[in-house]
Amino acid sequence: MKFTLSWLSTFVSIDGLDPDQLADRLTMLGLEVEAVEKLYQGLDAILTARVVSVRPHPDADRLTLCDVDTGQETVQVVCGAPNVRAGLVTAIALPGVSLPGGMKIRKARVRGEQSLGMLCSARELGLGDDHSGIIELDPDLAPGRPLTEALGLDDTMIEIDLTPNRPDCASVIGIAREVAGFTGSPLRQPVTEVPVLTGEDVDFKVTIAEPGLCPRYAARRLSNVRVGPSPWWLQRQLLAVGMRPINNIVDVTNFVMLEYGQPLHAFDFTRLEGGEIVVRLPQPDEKRFTTLDGVEREIEPDMLMICDARRPVAVAGVMGGLDSEVTDTTTEILLESACFDPVSIRRTARRLNLPSEASYRFERGVDPELATRAMERAVQLMADVAGAEIRPSGIDEYPGRKEPLRLDLRVGRVNALLGVELDSGRVASYLRSIGFEVADDSQDVLSVTVPSFRIDIEREVDLVEEIARLVGYNEIPVTSPRISMEYPRHDELRTLRRQAAEILTAQGFYEAINYSFTAERHHDLMGLAADDPRRSVTRLLNPLTEDQAVMRTMLLPGLLENIRRNINFQRPDIRLFEIGKIFLQKKEGEQPEERFQVCAVMSGGRYPGARPLYFAGRETDFFDIKGAAECLLEALRIRRGEGGVDFVVDRERAQPYSDPELALQIVARGQEIGRVGRLNTRAAKGFSLKQEVYFFELDLEDLIALPRQAREFKPLPRYPSVRRDIALVVPDQVPAGDLLQATLDQKERFVESVDIFDVYRGKPIADGMKSVALTVTYRSPEQTLDDETVDRIHQKIVNSLMATFGARYREGME
Amino acid sequence: METELRQLRDEALAALEKIGSSAELEPFRVKYLGRKGGLIAGLMRQLGQVPREDRPRLGQLANTIKKEVQERFEEKKEALLAAPAAAEAGVDRSLPGRYLPFGRLHPVTQVMEEICAIFEGMGFAVAEGPDVETDHYNFEALNIPRHHPARDMHDTFYVTDSILLRTHTSPMQARIMETQEPPLRYIAPGKVYRCDSDITHTPMFHQVEGFLVDRIVSFADLKGVLTSFIHRMFSDDLAVRFRPSFFPFTEPSAEVDIACVICGGAGCRVCKRTGWLEILGAGLIDPAVLTMVGYDPDRYSGFAFGLGVERIAMLKYGIDDIRLYYENDLRFLSQF
Repeated sequence: MKFTLSWLSTFVSIDGLDPDQLADRLTMLGLEVEAVEKLYQGLDAILTARVVSVRPHPDADRLTLCDVDTGQETVQVVCGAPNVRAGLVTAIALPGVSLPGGMKIRKARVRGEQSLGMLCSARELGLGDDHSGIIELDPDLAPGRPLTEALGLDDTMIEIDLTPNRPDCASVIGIAREVAGFTGSPLRQPVTEVPVLTGEDVDFKVTIAEPGLCPRYAARRLSNVRVGPSPWWLQRQLLAVGMRPINNIVDVTNFVMLEYGQPLHAFDFTRLEGGEIVVRLPQPDEKRFTTLDGVEREIEPDMLMICDARRPVAVAGVMGGLDSEVTDTTTEILLESACFDPVSIRRTARRLNLPSEASYRFERGVDPELATRAMERAVQLMADVAGAEIRPSGIDEYPGRKEPLRLDLRVGRVNALLGVELDSGRVASYLRSIGFEVADDSQDVLSVTVPSFRIDIEREVDLVEEIARLVGYNEIPVTSPRISMEYPRHDELRTLRRQAAEILTAQGFYEAINYSFTAERHHDLMGLAADDPRRSVTRLLNPLTEDQAVMRTMLLPGLLENIRRNINFQRPDIRLFEIGKIFLQKKEGEQPEERFQVCAVMSGGRYPGARPLYFAGRETDFFDIKGAAECLLEALRIRRGEGGVDFVVDRERAQPYSDPELALQIVARGQEIGRVGRLNTRAAKGFSLKQEVYFFELDLEDLIALPRQAREFKPLPRYPSVRRDIALVVPDQVPAGDLLQATLDQKERFVESVDIFDVYRGKPIADGMKSVALTVTYRSPEQTLDDETVDRIHQKIVNSLMATFGARYREGME
Repeated sequence: METELRQLRDEALAALEKIGSSAELEPFRVKYLGRKGGLIAGLMRQLGQVPREDRPRLGQLANTIKKEVQERFEEKKEALLAAPAAAEAGVDRSLPGRYLPFGRLHPVTQVMEEICAIFEGMGFAVAEGPDVETDHYNFEALNIPRHHPARDMHDTFYVTDSILLRTHTSPMQARIMETQEPPLRYIAPGKVYRCDSDITHTPMFHQVEGFLVDRIVSFADLKGVLTSFIHRMFSDDLAVRFRPSFFPFTEPSAEVDIACVICGGAGCRVCKRTGWLEILGAGLIDPAVLTMVGYDPDRYSGFAFGLGVERIAMLKYGIDDIRLYYENDLRFLSQF
């Protein structure tokens, strides 16, 4: 809602308040001021000027040479406007002056003739839309006066970001009422001298067929109207609030709507068949309607229409029709001032995608009591600016008339809810200051009558809010709630997520956050099979772009895009992770399953950002990402092996975006809960990635269900351990991890731990073979182990490994 | 004998004086203080050959000298050990230290955790709900019926007619109140979605919603809790103001402003010359919301608030473009 101070001050005195103070007071009352804009600031240097004489440009048909009196001197100006003529008073921008649009005027030669300034159109001055010629000012204005002063252009525009509950303030008078409330100055409503409706001498008919959707419909006839441009004072206020002047009749309806908040519509009466208005729903065959913006629209059976005897002439409360609009030749008018059901108007405006100033107000709610008052004001103005002949004939159908609402307000309740101590008298005087009536000050329960314009006030608590607003939120004390000390339980999944994030950052990963919605084509780039469950997406009906059209079913694609971006910005060494939700649409029409997952990616140098002095030249490989996943699981104390998590190679489960030779599944209880791998070249190409990318994916909802390693004290060993190494030559395809696992699986006495410490291929090992070196640590809790015991056990282990894997000793290593 | 003893003392102390490195300590000790071949021990062994009457006096002298040399030797040893060894000389200590690099949490996560930690410290429990929410919990249960103009404040992404991406984390209010009885103290952090995208809006952002319900909870209590939060989050002397606003699920409703952290309240571009920055929406829970979950609004009252995490992070860190959050550019992420 925009208004000017000059306009506001016609209804209430704002003396002693500068624009910023006024803005501050309004903001603190809940009318949040969005902008305070001094108007016409660019026009300070523009002067009035009189065209003294005009002659044709010798070298251009459409240009004129003018001698212009600027008050100081007479200068020659080249002008192209068709309306330039001797004696015209207009506006000139002299060399050195800038126009509001930013254009700077210079001395110029136009086709060989000197031009010492520019005569301006209304549009060039930001004073309107008219660019058909230069602006025509009052011929009595003396040349050489600043335009702002000559036209009284000293004003400020204030814009309020109106909350939906205050339709009464979608009007200058509504705002004036609030101002009157806090300044104590009286509110001055416009006075009209319009004959009141008698209901006699009526040459038209109004029928409300849908009283539930139209509580009131008032209309009035005006004759012998002369349609033309509005006077400057009227145009000026409309322009200042960003509304385009059309003609005097339409401008008056807009002006009064802004003043009162009551939308009005003027029909060309001669275009209304049968001189009749019917407020009704469309007939089955009425499917199309052309609104006054020239667009043909599809209308639906539940859209309320204003019709004449035969057909619709307006979409009720939204927009008039092209056929019955007021034109330059209109002389007979029917002026509508009605009230419509908010929900109906809102639905219609939405479906037609046609928000208008009228629908904005109707869908928030217009005071039905306004209809005749606003209409009288408009009739008066139309008489003033368009010579309209006021006929007393008019109709006021008011099927929805309501008794004023009375509410009980418990003063004790006000005090309890706000934490204040007010007495009944104080509460009553606050309410009276903004137009409420209070019956008896002395009661603990006040009987409050709600004024009709406050349609937002329906309950006691609405009055409590009014009191809070008027007391001033900042005057309400600051206290602490008295509430139980009970300390809440923590959400385990949230704790797990936080721990996982900390562990990954400690490993050099930065956290990424990507949008939850993504491009569906990612699934093709990732090579997901047609029946992959990750293709069952939750789709948005109204995405902003195709790239944000479906909810993600995996985190990896987002991170791949992040990698590409970072490479493009010269950060090719990357460790990123994201912990977030994926969405699996299990059943159409229902909410998807939401699961928290973690995904981490690595690419480029092994230690991004590390000191090159110590860590240069090493590229990330598979074991970095596997290690990151292992480290995460271990730090989270997730149990490995039986009943816990395993890393297994399972070709059946290899992901379509993973390199088959570098794919590893993370399984628990036979179920895949994650995976480690390298992005294959096809997927990498899809994301325009030229460098290798390693990733792991892990489902946190699965993870949290797994057993954790207990935090349980074991006494520190009292006896020393003994180490023995084994170096075995095995066929190349035997996984070294199997040797390690087999060693553990023998469950020999005193074996404390086993580790791989070397894997070697090449001379002197034969082709197709490799050497794997293991180290086994033995310890007894009861004694220092002697060599003989250890050797015996160790030999048993070695023999078993050789038998199982067809291994033999590596020469020279016995 | 006495002369010899005194000479040996002087000689030993002079030799000790000349020692410049710890390597020379051991030869000195062996030469003078060695139990078997040491010079002092050698002289002391000769005491048997001096006249009997001189023996106690010379013996005492010898012991005093031995003790003195011993002590001075220990002093020297300590002094030398404290000094840098020759082998360590010339290390270029200007070279950087060696450590494995570490990453950092996303700034939104950092600020979100900070916000949650403050409220958790006040005893609020954390609850999270679905991102893909029903129209019922996102709107209807919060007193925003289908054709209410307040829906204009939420540019909603829809999945179906009745399923949508939550536009705020407030649905948790109804979800929790439906299943629990007061007293309740919860915060609901999470992602929210609105179809809007420009320099100050991204279609996804993060919110922390909170609410408290009990017997007799007042607007003054709301001010108390939120003022504490703001002071802990920013600084203890930061000016805070509450002004009326409108949310369909609270009444009275408030918008909470802090003095502009950029200009200190003088007025700048960030605060649109007002000197104030809006950081929170809040209010007493509307009785209609309480009634819908079966609470008696005359028995219970409560307050609710919601704040945008990105906005607070922008203010705290001076970030000027909200879109940077979701580009995951390491040049950005590594700054926080």
